[in-house]
Amino acid sequence: MKLSEARPGITYEVMGIESGCLRAGRLSSLGFLPGCEVRIVHVAPLGDPVAVEMAGQEISVRLTEAKLVEVREVG
Amino acid sequence: MKTGTRNRTVRVVLLGNPNTGKSTVFNRLTGLRQHIANYPGVTVDKKVGAIEVGGTQFEVVDLPGCYSLAAASPDERVVLDVLDGRIGGSPPDVIVCVVDATNLRRNLFLVTQAAELGVPMVVALNQWDGARRAGLKIDTALLEERLGVAVIPMCAKKGEGIAELKRAIKACHEDHRYVPRASWPEFLVEARDGLLAALEKDGVSLTPVEALRMMFDADSALAATVRNKELLRAELGKARGILRSHGLNPATAEAGLQYRHLDALLLGVVERDPSVPRSRDTIDEIVLHRFWGTLIFVGVMYLVFQSLYAWAGPFMDLIEMATAGFQEWVGPWFAGTPMLQSLIVDGALAGVGGVIVFLPQILILFLFIALLEDSGYLARAAFLMDKQLGWCGLNGKSFVPMLSGFACAIPAVMAARSLEDPKARITTVFLTPFMSCSARLPVYVLFIGAFVEPTYGPIVAGWTLFAMHFVGAAVALPIGWFLNRVILKIQAQPFILEMPPYRVPTLRNVVIRMWERGREFVVRAGTVILAFSIIIWALLYFPRPEEVADSVRTKYIASQNLSAAEVEEALADPESEFALKLDHQIAGAYIEQSYLGRFGKWVQPVFAPAGFDWKITIGLLSSFPAREVIIATMGIIYNLGADVTEESEDLRSILAHEKWSDGPLQGQPVFTLPVVFALMVFFALCMQCGATVAVVAKELGWKWAVGSFATMTTLAWLAAVLVYQVGSRWM
Repeated sequence: MKLSEARPGITYEVMGIESGCLRAGRLSSLGFLPGCEVRIVHVAPLGDPVAVEMAGQEISVRLTEAKLVEVREVG
Repeated sequence: MKTGTRNRTVRVVLLGNPNTGKSTVFNRLTGLRQHIANYPGVTVDKKVGAIEVGGTQFEVVDLPGCYSLAAASPDERVVLDVLDGRIGGSPPDVIVCVVDATNLRRNLFLVTQAAELGVPMVVALNQWDGARRAGLKIDTALLEERLGVAVIPMCAKKGEGIAELKRAIKACHEDHRYVPRASWPEFLVEARDGLLAALEKDGVSLTPVEALRMMFDADSALAATVRNKELLRAELGKARGILRSHGLNPATAEAGLQYRHLDALLLGVVERDPSVPRSRDTIDEIVLHRFWGTLIFVGVMYLVFQSLYAWAGPFMDLIEMATAGFQEWVGPWFAGTPMLQSLIVDGALAGVGGVIVFLPQILILFLFIALLEDSGYLARAAFLMDKQLGWCGLNGKSFVPMLSGFACAIPAVMAARSLEDPKARITTVFLTPFMSCSARLPVYVLFIGAFVEPTYGPIVAGWTLFAMHFVGAAVALPIGWFLNRVILKIQAQPFILEMPPYRVPTLRNVVIRMWERGREFVVRAGTVILAFSIIIWALLYFPRPEEVADSVRTKYIASQNLSAAEVEEALADPESEFALKLDHQIAGAYIEQSYLGRFGKWVQPVFAPAGFDWKITIGLLSSFPAREVIIATMGIIYNLGADVTEESEDLRSILAHEKWSDGPLQGQPVFTLPVVFALMVFFALCMQCGATVAVVAKELGWKWAVGSFATMTTLAWLAAVLVYQVGSRWM
């Protein structure tokens, strides 16, 4: 599933990032990489953007960016 | 001329992620021995300071904060261009990489990228106390050993570690310690070198680092250095193809390899005490809450706006009083030469006063922005507001500038610099002057008080005033949408925002921030505003033939039925009603025949479809440097003198009785409700503010300033014509 569809509070593992665009590079340089664990910790009042906790930091991404990240629930 | 390497100033750059306290390190290093310059062709500030360590002079440059050297815009390219010597002629002598100890892994990613440059480096491990509070234990000796360069734990906010950092910079310059370059897989080096060689053949010489960046980064701004786009595309395709054939996604290959390397490097360096809770989670539960968070946001923004709107008022009044006092004091010195007197009093001094008067709002806004940004709240505010503003090309960070625009566009436009995304920044700067600033208020008050209130009563008048404040915003947002979809062909940047940990702002940083912005406004925009002021003064002053005053005087005296002795007596006292009225009439006659007055009469047909007569037109034209000037100009035109205010009963009554002296409407009142509304809508939409034009030019360049001025003026005219034409058919 995509990170944009992920439920808040649940931990997911990043499986991959859609390739070949600026956003993918940006996300990866912050550490969004296959194998890392992510968790949506806050959702903005209108449902977008979302704040994602990843490797001890909190990053706000729009759903358009979150769509690029393929994740898998780890429970 | 170089006088040997010994006496040459050593160039040091500060590199680091946003929110690491890099600017605090810079401020601590250089104190007030710093200034802001410009990089050519971009809007990024170049902050330069000077320090001396043990007899060696260092020039310190604070680079813009960044997470990566990847550059998708010319602004972002500045960092790489400075690092590899495209800007400045040669690479810097020392890189100080400021890293946040509380988030070491991600911060070191930039260090690994910078290592590729082969420039001596020092790592400043800032937020050392924060890391300790968060239960992180960092083995700096081990980190130093693994990185191969000095690692200085510090807490810049308290000034701890600054002396050590200075010594480390000097030592690094002497013993040249590097972070070793990454050991890239062989195929990757081949791909890079292939790209380099192919471009070299075409006459483009890149550094190996630049070639790496072009290969890794989609839409790299470095592409601008290569003229042959087709060749570049083909060669990049080839290089990325090699990466793909080895199972690497080019967009994430670098991060994948470097983070793996960092994980090995950090093994055993950082230890986290799991018993220490993370405090921001609990704060953000409330601050980012759908309901409570929105409530807090509204409260904070109300405070910012209220202080801009209300707190700045007394200071602005004081400055205006001081200007007036100064004008009165200086005026008599030049009593013998009226032209020089007017130039100095009405041109230069009024212009200088007109610059300084903006300082209170600028200082107050940047006080708040520094507090909001340094505390970490600005990122939360942007998070809460992003979706609401995203549809018209803005992002969450546009909110503070746009809101501030309701007080004054000048500090607001300056505040838009906090937007990293060029597209959103341009849109924000473009839309901010549409917000109904406080200088429009007197115009609304005058016309609503004179025409709407007597006809419809105070309640409708109040609602009209309220509604007028949103005319600009209602027009601006769709324009933003249009600008983004149709005109601006710049690629939008992803809105990826770090939520930094909450931190207590320091007085020192806040004061330096306010000082920088205030000084910058006075020096850069102030000169332009002063020039505008003097040009408009000249257009309103010249030509000034004596005969005009003489003929007004003769006519006026003849109309008063007084004896020669009585006239002389009345004129002897310049404060007498007789003498004042005469002065006002002469001033009115002079403005009518001034260059601007003649121009106003000449272009009046352009404004006729909006129902404006030549007097209104002159008022409009004279208010282009500063819209509130229209009240004083109207005072002069209607022979009441320049000292009228929007509350003046004289002015209101004379406007109400003003009739067309010629043309098809001869004998009918000039100020009908459609005319009044057309005029107010014109003021709502027009960029009648020389200071805003100057600040927009400063932020985006003159092309945008002229474009924005032309757009707003055209829209204002169209809307005024529409209001008048529709209004006069309905009413």
